[in-house]
Amino acid sequence: MSKTNSNADRFRKQAIAGELEEPVEEARNLAETLGLEPYPVKYWIIDYDEMNELIAYGGFQSRYPHWRWGMQYDKQQKQGQYGGGKAFEIVNNDNPAHAFLQESNTIADQKAVITHVEAHSDFFANNEWFGLFTRGQADDGAVNAAAMLERHAQSIDDYMSDPEIDRADVEKWIDHCLTLEDNIDQHQIYTRRLDIDGDVTDELDEDLAAKLDDLELSEEVKGEVFDEEWLEAVEGDDASIEFPAQPQKDILAFVREHGKQFDEEAGRAVEMEPWQRDILDMMRAESYYFAAQKMTKVMNEGWAAYHESRMMSDEGFAEDDEFVNYADHMARVLASPGLNPYSLGMELWEYVENKTNRREVLERLLRVEGVSWRNLTDVVDFEAVRERLEPPEALVRITPETLEDVVDLPSAYVDDEALEAARAGEIDVGRYPWKVLTYEGLARRHYSLVKRQHRGFLTRVSQNDLERIGRYLFDDARYESVEEALADVEYTAGWDRMFDIRESHNDVTFLDQFLTQEFITENDYFTYEHSRATGQFHVSSDEAEDVKKKLLLQFTNFGKPTIAVYDGNYNNANELLLGHQYNGVMLDLAQARETLKRVFELWGRPVNLLTIVKQVDEHDVEVAKRRNREPEADERGTCLRYDGTEVTVEDVPWEEVEHLAASDVDYDTKPDDWLA
Amino acid sequence: MGLRDDLERFREVGEKRREDLADFIQYGDLGQSRPGSVSVPVKIVSLPEFAYDQRDQGGVGQGDGDTPDVGQPIGQPQPQPGDDDGEEGDEPGEEGGEHEYYEMDPEEFAQELDEELGLDLEPKGKQVVEEKEGPFTDMTRSGPDSTLDFERMFKEGLKRKLAMDFDEDFLRELCKVEGISPREVFEWARGENLPVSMAWVEEAHADVADERGKWDSIEAVEENVSRETVQQKIRREGIKHVPFRREDERYRYPEIIEEKEKNVVVVNIRDVSGSMREKKRELVERTFTPLDWYLQGKYDNAEFVYIAHDAEAWEVDREEFFGIRSGGGTKISSAYDLAAELLEEYPWTDWNRYVFAAGDSENSSNDTSERVIPRMEEIPANLHAYVETQPSGNAINATHAEELEKHFGRDAEDVAVAYVNGEGDVTDAIYEILSTESEADE
Repeated sequence: MSKTNSNADRFRKQAIAGELEEPVEEARNLAETLGLEPYPVKYWIIDYDEMNELIAYGGFQSRYPHWRWGMQYDKQQKQGQYGGGKAFEIVNNDNPAHAFLQESNTIADQKAVITHVEAHSDFFANNEWFGLFTRGQADDGAVNAAAMLERHAQSIDDYMSDPEIDRADVEKWIDHCLTLEDNIDQHQIYTRRLDIDGDVTDELDEDLAAKLDDLELSEEVKGEVFDEEWLEAVEGDDASIEFPAQPQKDILAFVREHGKQFDEEAGRAVEMEPWQRDILDMMRAESYYFAAQKMTKVMNEGWAAYHESRMMSDEGFAEDDEFVNYADHMARVLASPGLNPYSLGMELWEYVENKTNRREVLERLLRVEGVSWRNLTDVVDFEAVRERLEPPEALVRITPETLEDVVDLPSAYVDDEALEAARAGEIDVGRYPWKVLTYEGLARRHYSLVKRQHRGFLTRVSQNDLERIGRYLFDDARYESVEEALADVEYTAGWDRMFDIRESHNDVTFLDQFLTQEFITENDYFTYEHSRATGQFHVSSDEAEDVKKKLLLQFTNFGKPTIAVYDGNYNNANELLLGHQYNGVMLDLAQARETLKRVFELWGRPVNLLTIVKQVDEHDVEVAKRRNREPEADERGTCLRYDGTEVTVEDVPWEEVEHLAASDVDYDTKPDDWLA
Repeated sequence: MGLRDDLERFREVGEKRREDLADFIQYGDLGQSRPGSVSVPVKIVSLPEFAYDQRDQGGVGQGDGDTPDVGQPIGQPQPQPGDDDGEEGDEPGEEGGEHEYYEMDPEEFAQELDEELGLDLEPKGKQVVEEKEGPFTDMTRSGPDSTLDFERMFKEGLKRKLAMDFDEDFLRELCKVEGISPREVFEWARGENLPVSMAWVEEAHADVADERGKWDSIEAVEENVSRETVQQKIRREGIKHVPFRREDERYRYPEIIEEKEKNVVVVNIRDVSGSMREKKRELVERTFTPLDWYLQGKYDNAEFVYIAHDAEAWEVDREEFFGIRSGGGTKISSAYDLAAELLEEYPWTDWNRYVFAAGDSENSSNDTSERVIPRMEEIPANLHAYVETQPSGNAINATHAEELEKHFGRDAEDVAVAYVNGEGDVTDAIYEILSTESEADE
């Protein structure tokens, strides 16, 4: 943080903090009534420069020293200066979470950020993918991210200050590690060290010859004691074991356990320095820590936007005079172009809510005597149903004057204690009407199917959906009338389901399950592909199936190709063999070459990468151009190799890469005659 | 550790990785810079990673109220949700653009260029007198308390104390001599240069009336009582108090330094006539822009005047200067007429002056010899320069530069002529121009 904490500065921030005390407290109360279970959140008021700094440093106050942070700050500042960018919220996944409010925000912005942050904090605390990072640690449930990053910062700073270690070398080493930051096994529980088969004896053997050399035994003595045969026998033992036993996706862990560094002067691999291994550990820990956020971006942002909207607009958390500001804020957040995770996520969450609620209602209706999935749309008056589902007036409008009507509401809706307090004037019902309600009460009060924007949802149910629900329904003549059936509707069904989903899903499963034809068509999504014939991108499909396929490609494995270690003793020379698990989309070869050079630094010995590339014959391209077609690409096995001096690229027989090619996926959305 | 450190490191790394200055001037993108700050691109290779081939991957787009038809080409792909990396903002090494910019202020630029080209132009201070507050070294007898020179007052007080103190015990003993009168004691003390007053002696004399007769004579006292110098006494007892006197008070006030400020006015003249095609125009910009930065960095205060001319001349803003193209003929003297007029605001006594002109050496017949040269001689300046930009070699009637060279000679101290036929000549031209003056200085 900048050191400009003059008193005036501090007082100003204190004043803002004072103003926000009540919103913070009430946002928490409301969040909890809505069913959220967030980590405690610590709020900080910071100024513009501090906000820029936090953004540059990835949201944390203490990160390891590296010039890139300085560069990002510089850039951030210039962007702010000339581009007028505005940051609304930063919240850290930590327990307690830390959230930062910029002092220049309007009070409406601040409230929006606070409600948004409470929902993020709930997501951090309850989503299982976030749990992967914490679960493997001794103190289950403690994230301690800020402390961890601070510790890393300290250690790395110590290494940099060590006169024996060159600062630039440390920075370079960090960069090497960062090139593999996404090459971890993000679906596994994070552990500090990884046990890999064939580990224990291995390190010993690799170095045995070198160590014997170090003993400086005379050739004669060596001949007596350690003859070549014996050496080979010991080292050979290990080489015969497949290593690793299974392809290892956590490349960072693998090089941490078995990697070496390349010593320029000696011209060979030598053991890593302790600081190098230590930094590898740290960078890997940070990768795992940030992985959950990358894996749940759409869900998490949608979750926060959804609850922010519930609290700010539906529960009037923004006061009337602030509401215009808030609406403006919301519009700006949701309207940024492209596939915006806020709006995509929020719409999907609303879809989940509506769909669950609709299913609940339909299940009740289908159990009415004489109603089946075949005739439901004919015999049931949806308009009447919707009217029935409307919350009672006493629940909708709660003011100090209507408290007596609240008493008459179903007891599950009302928090009796709070109601008493409200009647005694201890609770400002005018300002916070939700305080006298329970989770059930709020669910009814904000029941999605009767909201203006979702009114058509119930009637839009397709015959297919009805059949799917109705076919397997038992006990299908439980109710005598529609009224009776509707009286049993669980209004919390939608919310309950949302809480379940926020626990177990990540973006890939979330999109896979809930991105529907309806959603894609309504939002005019389409896919595009590159044409070799025209050298341009073209629209390739607007089919929901295709759009979903393409989207999933962008979310699966951080949107990156899957690379794994296939052999740590390749060519029987301790070379590293990586394999690209080819799903039909080829690698960016230029980047792959550069990445291999970095991997070499972490392995110390030659590194190889098996992949599959698509090649198109120049002549075919010419022919295709003339005929307005797309040339047929040829898939070939390729091995990229870096031995410390140059990258070589060689074709390999198909048999060697066959095991890498997935046959059951196809991300290509090009129709056959798309350019015609 | 911390932001300041990381920024510092970024500047260090940035400096190492920034484009070579000469390359930057000749071939780089000069347009990124703002006034007061030169932006030199830094080659920062973003960290590589295993990634999909962008073309092979394709993507998802969103129509604006309608889905576009299949087969329709689209422009640059829209940003994709996977493109940014969650809450933590840009992860290190994922910067979007290819270049970062290394920002230099003009001072640094000038210094770097000096090193790069081996220049050593010392800007001259002109007779612009400015009163500036220097260090607080002058003294006055009154002033605000905070500027009171306490050290001096203490020293003065100490000196006074030393001068005024004397061995009181000894004089008291002296008063005990049989039959001695105060006057005798006083006179003895004066003989010894003791700063004692008659009043003090009289008082002491009265005090020891009872013990009078302890000694027979002054000599006896001198023999038996050891005397102590003031210095010894202070060393033994310490100073109980130092007498501070108003007359010792001195207040410091700042010295007034007369400074010659280094002012410079640079007149940039450019031929915008029909013959000045795009390439020539660009070469002028490449030559003039670094010159402007350089002089801005060298002088405390730099003013720029931009004159465009064809057959007539008019003053323009910098933004327009390099972009104008007119259709007319060429009369270079028109620009010098205007320059002379505009320079009246910047008197030669107070300002360093540089007059840079550029064009393709085409001029109306006899204008160079009859009007331009006399004008140049009339306008006093540190340096007159003409930059000829002829990407396609010489045109027959383009003789302005040649004529100047013939008239002023190659070794003229305040006239430089440089030829720029391509980007590669830019640094040489800059060197030619800037070294002309520095040689003259030697």
